[in-house]
Amino acid sequence: MTETAFRRMKDLPSTRLLGTGTPMCAGCGGLLALHEIYDILGEKTVFINAAGCMTLLSVYPFTPFRGSWLYTSMASAPAGAQGVRDALDILLEQKRISADEDLQTVVLTGDGSAYGMGLSATSGAIDRNLDFLYICYDNEGYGNTGQQFSEATPHAAKTSTSSGPRGFPGFKKDLFDIWAANRPAYVATVIGTEPLDLARKIEKAKNMKGPRLIIALAPCPTGWDYDPKETVEIGKLAVKTGVWPLKEYIDGKVVHTKIPRQRKPVEEYLQKQGRFAHLFKPERNEKLLAEIQQRIDVYWEGISNE
Amino acid sequence: MYRIRFHGRGGQGMKTASRILSNAFFLGGYEVQDAPRYGAERRGAPIFAYVRAAKQPINERGIINRPDLVIVADDSLVAIPAAGVLQGIGPQTVLMINSHEAARTWEERLNVPGQVLILPVTEEVEDRAELPFLGTTCAGAAARLIGIIPLEHLQQAIRDELAHLGTEIVEKNLQQAAEAYELAAEYAGKVIEGTEISAQDYAKPEWIDMPFEVASISAPTIHTGLTSELAATGTWRTMRPVIDYQLCNRCWWVCSEFCPDGAITVDDEGYPQIDLDQCKGCMICVAQCPPHAIEAVAESVAQLAEATEATEATEAVGDKS
Ligand SMILES: Cc1ncc(C[n+]2csc(CCOP(=O)(O)OP(=O)(O)O)c2C)c(N)n1
Ligand code: SF4
Ligand SMILES: [Mg+2]
Repeated sequence: MTETAFRRMKDLPSTRLLGTGTPMCAGCGGLLALHEIYDILGEKTVFINAAGCMTLLSVYPFTPFRGSWLYTSMASAPAGAQGVRDALDILLEQKRISADEDLQTVVLTGDGSAYGMGLSATSGAIDRNLDFLYICYDNEGYGNTGQQFSEATPHAAKTSTSSGPRGFPGFKKDLFDIWAANRPAYVATVIGTEPLDLARKIEKAKNMKGPRLIIALAPCPTGWDYDPKETVEIGKLAVKTGVWPLKEYIDGKVVHTKIPRQRKPVEEYLQKQGRFAHLFKPERNEKLLAEIQQRIDVYWEGISNE
Repeated sequence: MYRIRFHGRGGQGMKTASRILSNAFFLGGYEVQDAPRYGAERRGAPIFAYVRAAKQPINERGIINRPDLVIVADDSLVAIPAAGVLQGIGPQTVLMINSHEAARTWEERLNVPGQVLILPVTEEVEDRAELPFLGTTCAGAAARLIGIIPLEHLQQAIRDELAHLGTEIVEKNLQQAAEAYELAAEYAGKVIEGTEISAQDYAKPEWIDMPFEVASISAPTIHTGLTSELAATGTWRTMRPVIDYQLCNRCWWVCSEFCPDGAITVDDEGYPQIDLDQCKGCMICVAQCPPHAIEAVAESVAQLAEATEATEATEAVGDKS
């Protein structure tokens, strides 16, 4: 295992490279993860951003980035990244830029793109062994257009297209495993509310070549229906209840980086969010709650500190 | 033609208010137009919505510049120029503000030609963004001020608009709207239908000739970083985080790291500094600070305290000279 520069909280950078004044909602968990990630990736980055909430980061004439940003349609950010990477490689080869001026090619999309519409372009990019870092902020729905369900929406969650008494009938797709099955350089899950774990993973990913994916669970006050001040609390509960396993795929192996010692009941996480209110009111849906809990328990069976 | 503008913050229900009011007009045989107006901003950002209603077909389009009625859901917006609350207010305009302060105070403060009325905030909540049913309250008051909208039409419009939220919420909204309708009874019919604006009165904007530039100059490309810092998202805030530096134990990282906007930086001595021009007021820092050194203060209270402090400081200087 490589040495990390981030051994304790005080080692985290305090540079705050990402600019303030973005149009993201107050309390946006995606923005929380992004500002932490950007502080570690640094300025030598070019972002290729598929349509979604974060498209609004760079609306002319405003940008919170220090470097370049490019907008693509929902399905084609990895294809956009291929073009940018190729252009940089040509410039390097022709010595029109020095190795020092090279940029990290970073795809930034929501879950709607990463888990669904953009998966085909992603698959192609992995096949071509494109040297890029994919950051997906996963707010479990099409946030920018009013939280319709996506392939990342969890079972039973209420969205604007699954508003019945049982919520979303489908199940969250396992993007981590889909990527890992392709044997890329690196895959990791992170969350902005666990900054040390996040920092170590971004540090690793930054120094690798080839296709790399970071999935950041992004608590979303607007889409998940809770008070913005709860973002960090809800994020921490996602980890403590085992809903969001923090793990990485590296050297062909999956390693869990933070195993909750005493997993809290998933209810504590669900209860804080309006999108799950129908599980508790007008009366508790014991059956559905038990099903959700059981699925988490099954996941964690046999997973111990490696 | 009636021209009405509702001003509020994203999440306060102004779009709903405009839809309810225009629907109520429609039930009374009016031609109507309603539209919300917001950009990429989100919850808390100043927004407005407008309604036109007339017995004849409406040919006017776009933002209302000569309102007959302006309803302000959140009085902290009045002082924000970008919110455009006072735009186009004339002698005929009725301006109704949801406020704890008296109409006189606002009249003196604003010195606008129109009449100022107060919509007393129905519930004592600190954070105005949390006021539920503000949209229906505003629609109810507007309907009565206009005077020609019967309560049944208002109620029907609310049922139509909010049916998908379930009976419990619809009932609560009906009750809120009825209370506001009753509260405004004293001023029923105060709003006078505006006259037609003729195309002849239309003043052409002063066009500026723009030379046609080559694409490398004229394309919407951003040539410099960090320009977002020029956008004052601090105006979204209804609550302000205030740090008690006596209690702060200079852990340095919690509030600064968890602020999604990066609006909290730490100075050389390890004390956090909140950039109030940019803080959107999510209150995550208040919730997360380990020694509870950050308090949430209503923005209106904080602004008043600042103003008082400034006055006292000036007076103190005056005393010395
Ligand atoms: C092909 C296509 N379909 C629909 C849209 C409209 N659209 C814009 S953003 C968005 C939601 C994207 O969801 P996600 O990727 O999860 O990002 P989020 O909005 O949640 O940040 C949609 C559906 C689009 N831009 N392109
Ligand atoms: S809708 Fe959700 S993900 Fe999108 S900007 Fe708002 S909080 Fe962030
Ligand atoms: Mg999404």
